[in-house]
Amino acid sequence: MSFLELAGLVKSYGAVTVVKGVDLSVEKGQLVCLLGPSGCGKTTTLRLIAGFVAASGGEIRVGGQVVSSAAGTVPPEGRNMSMIFQSYALWPHMTVFQNVAYGLKLRKMSSEQINKRVREILTVTQLLPLEGRYPGELSGGQQQRVSLARALVVKPEILLLDEPLSNLDANLREEMRFEIRRLHDEFRYTTVYVTHDQSEAMTTADVIVVMNDGRIEQAGSPEDIYARPESEFVARFIGGTNILSGKRISDDTVHCDGDFILNCGSGTLAPSGRAIVSVRHHDIEISENRRWETNTVSGRVVRQIYLGSHRDYLVSIPGGETVRALSPVDVRLPVGSEAWLHFPPNDCRALAR
Amino acid sequence: MSATVVEGRRASVDLSVPIFLILGLLLSVLVILPLFWIIWYSFTSDGGGGFTLANFAALVTDPTLVRAYAIAIGMAFAVGVLSCLVATPMAWLVARTDLPGRRFFRMLITASFVTPPFLGAIAYEILAAPNSGIVNVAFRSLFGLDSSTVLVNIYTFTGLVFAIACFTFPYVFTLVANALDKVPSDLEDASAILGGGAMTTLRKVTFPLVLPAMLAGTLIAILQSLTMFGSPAIIALPAGFHVITTKIWSLFQFPPRLGLAAAAAIPLLVITVMLLRAQKAILGRKGYTVLGGKSGTPRINTLGNWKWAAMAFVLTVLSLTIFLPYGAILKTAFTNTAGDPITWETLTLRHWRFVLFEFSATQLALRNTFLLGILTATIVTAIALVTAYLVTRRSIAGAGYLGVLATAPVAIPGIVLGVGLFLSYANPTFQLYGTLWILLIAFMTIELPAGYQQMSSSFAGVHPELEEAGRIMGASRLRTLWDITAPLLRTSVVAAWCFVFVGTIRELSATILLTTANTKLVSVIIYDLNESGDLGAICVLGILLLVASFAVVYIANRVPVLGGSQMNARG
Ligand SMILES: Nc1ncnc2c1ncn2[C@@H]1O[C@H](COP(=O)(O)OP(=O)(O)OP(=O)(O)O)[C@@H](O)[C@H]1O
Ligand SMILES: [Mg+2]
Repeated sequence: MSFLELAGLVKSYGAVTVVKGVDLSVEKGQLVCLLGPSGCGKTTTLRLIAGFVAASGGEIRVGGQVVSSAAGTVPPEGRNMSMIFQSYALWPHMTVFQNVAYGLKLRKMSSEQINKRVREILTVTQLLPLEGRYPGELSGGQQQRVSLARALVVKPEILLLDEPLSNLDANLREEMRFEIRRLHDEFRYTTVYVTHDQSEAMTTADVIVVMNDGRIEQAGSPEDIYARPESEFVARFIGGTNILSGKRISDDTVHCDGDFILNCGSGTLAPSGRAIVSVRHHDIEISENRRWETNTVSGRVVRQIYLGSHRDYLVSIPGGETVRALSPVDVRLPVGSEAWLHFPPNDCRALAR
Repeated sequence: MSATVVEGRRASVDLSVPIFLILGLLLSVLVILPLFWIIWYSFTSDGGGGFTLANFAALVTDPTLVRAYAIAIGMAFAVGVLSCLVATPMAWLVARTDLPGRRFFRMLITASFVTPPFLGAIAYEILAAPNSGIVNVAFRSLFGLDSSTVLVNIYTFTGLVFAIACFTFPYVFTLVANALDKVPSDLEDASAILGGGAMTTLRKVTFPLVLPAMLAGTLIAILQSLTMFGSPAIIALPAGFHVITTKIWSLFQFPPRLGLAAAAAIPLLVITVMLLRAQKAILGRKGYTVLGGKSGTPRINTLGNWKWAAMAFVLTVLSLTIFLPYGAILKTAFTNTAGDPITWETLTLRHWRFVLFEFSATQLALRNTFLLGILTATIVTAIALVTAYLVTRRSIAGAGYLGVLATAPVAIPGIVLGVGLFLSYANPTFQLYGTLWILLIAFMTIELPAGYQQMSSSFAGVHPELEEAGRIMGASRLRTLWDITAPLLRTSVVAAWCFVFVGTIRELSATILLTTANTKLVSVIIYDLNESGDLGAICVLGILLLVASFAVVYIANRVPVLGGSQMNARG
């Protein structure tokens, strides 16, 4: 039994259902990222876990105890969770110290104990010199760290984060990403992290949960999700890819629309209907003449961009599709010329959806 | 570890449902009951008490009613146009030119919101009454003319329009000046780059952008003057004509004709609703939202040689609307009679002694006024706070309904509400007529929209995540309200309280129908004293009201415990 379990979780607002039956198990100490496009229900799922919204169906269990179901909801204050909000939600009328100490005060600790715990966490988050400042007097990154400190100081069973880095500039975002991971490794809280930035998810998560339209598309380690996507949506959403489609010949062979055969090294095709295959941009090989026997097709270069470390080609192939391929800089093909593409079988992923 | 989770599963007592029900009931009674009785009575015959349409027929056939409506509407539009014509150039000069002292002028006009309009009317009585008016007396003695010469006469339709416009123009001014602040200067720069001269830019770019604000302000001025009782009663009645508010009031005099009064109030209600909708439509239009957008530094125009003309214009307007009236009130309070020249001999504290120690009615009135002011401000702020919380946080289904109810009284003119409350509570069931309760109910209803608007906009300014952060850290809903929401709202609560207090102690339109000898208020005493011509005492009372208003605003702004709030100009 996992520590945090969502079972058939459903949330509807009137006639619209925004979370459509989510099943998810999170082990104790894991950092799980909910990843998906805007409006897919990530925040709603997180707020369901926090108890801010009541479930319309299904259950949420923590340590085996039901905390949310259609029958009732334990209020947020009864869940021993912490949350970091997109807006940080630092209380502007309290100093950094008071913000961090608030949760401990509610737990009726002695003031010495509070002092000690707050100092500890402020040291870890490098905020000690700022403890007397008000949130309005801090930079974005410092505010972010205060909200981290405030959430962590109460030693929650579960830590929830809703796009905690989206208000930061790119450099700081990178830095805070590792900071969050470092703090997680240090304290090992069970963490649910919402983001729509895939590189953020890749760098921080133990498990990535890709959501789409209120449902989970796929859950797995970052490597699973990237290298072994199960659906076209996941393949496209994580890392970007070429999708080739055609008629299914066998479990791992497709007759593509451009009249060539693709053998897939991994994945399974849908048993019926159109067969789809994903090949990442940088896995495709490109050459001016035919150098391969199988998994190859010729097309015409429509665009070529020199990017210093590599070249970015767009090649249109028979059947009307356009393939994007990244090649070493020494492969030099002018626009309009013929190009042979090779899709190495091991990098062709057959998709069931 | 899971023990804490189980422990958390206590059923917390949710007070929001009972509070919602109680508030809903209270607000419904406050708003719906008076309207119901107005409609009921308007169909009731004043003679026998049976059902009749005669009251509505009288609205079209009774020439005195038709005339009163016609004059009132004419007056209101004249006031609106005059206010707009004066306020727009003022606002532009103060907001967008290098006029010396413009910040001070702006502050002064904003502060003049506190002046009760009826006090302004009395000031103009002192200044421009045909015989005793200071201006006329001075004019005659200057040119050695006899007493039949009259330079200015306030007891005319024109005089009335002028006196009211002096105290409604700040509405237009504030709206237009704020709008001008927000016109992005890049729009103007764009026009200038394309070769538009200063005047062309002003006419083609700036002016169209603030037009909605001008229209909206003008509509407010129209609405204010249409529903005003004090100034017309002071100026129009001696001049021998009625506007609709004074006409409705006269229907309450013996023999009372309540049914006719109720019917006469209904068109006023309808016009008010229409004007408010028009205003909302204008302000809600797409063009206006441009103004809400990015606010670059507004472009300041150099006046150059025009500076002196502009200065003369601004000073003239300020003299007419602020310096002269306030001067007249001060002078009258400290000299024997208004027309006396100011010398050491004529200076006296006679009126102060009379008002404070000899005139028996004042002490009661002062006590009543401040008691009601404090009670109303406190209750309204509390109701507004809870209502705004329930509405903005949508913690309960149907909360939006409360917001509608709390805003609805905006559309009920004071005099109409007075009629409605009289009909609702001055009957054998309630017997509230002649008590302070009926006045308290009236003031609460009148002030609720202002208080609610203040509170709901400040709730909207407190991000819900701030409260949620408190909840997830382990604080209950109430604890969060107390520790987080309340401190963040403190300044707005204080501001709303002041707002309501100042509004209450100057109310006259509804009060005049609901007050009796035992429940006199300062505003009513001022009105009574005006009938008996005791201007010195009136000015003393007026000064007391103003001092109280300014003191409250000042204290709220200065005392740090109260948050040193920024009072908003009253809309
Ligand atoms: N209170 C509500 N009432 C009705 N619909 C809602 C409500 N809250 C959210 N929704 C809808 O639910 C859907 C999911 O919203 P949610 O905030 O969970 O998306 P998200 O995945 O967090 O998106 P983003 O990445 O933009 O934050 C959206 O279509 C949203 O419009
Ligand atoms: Mg979201």
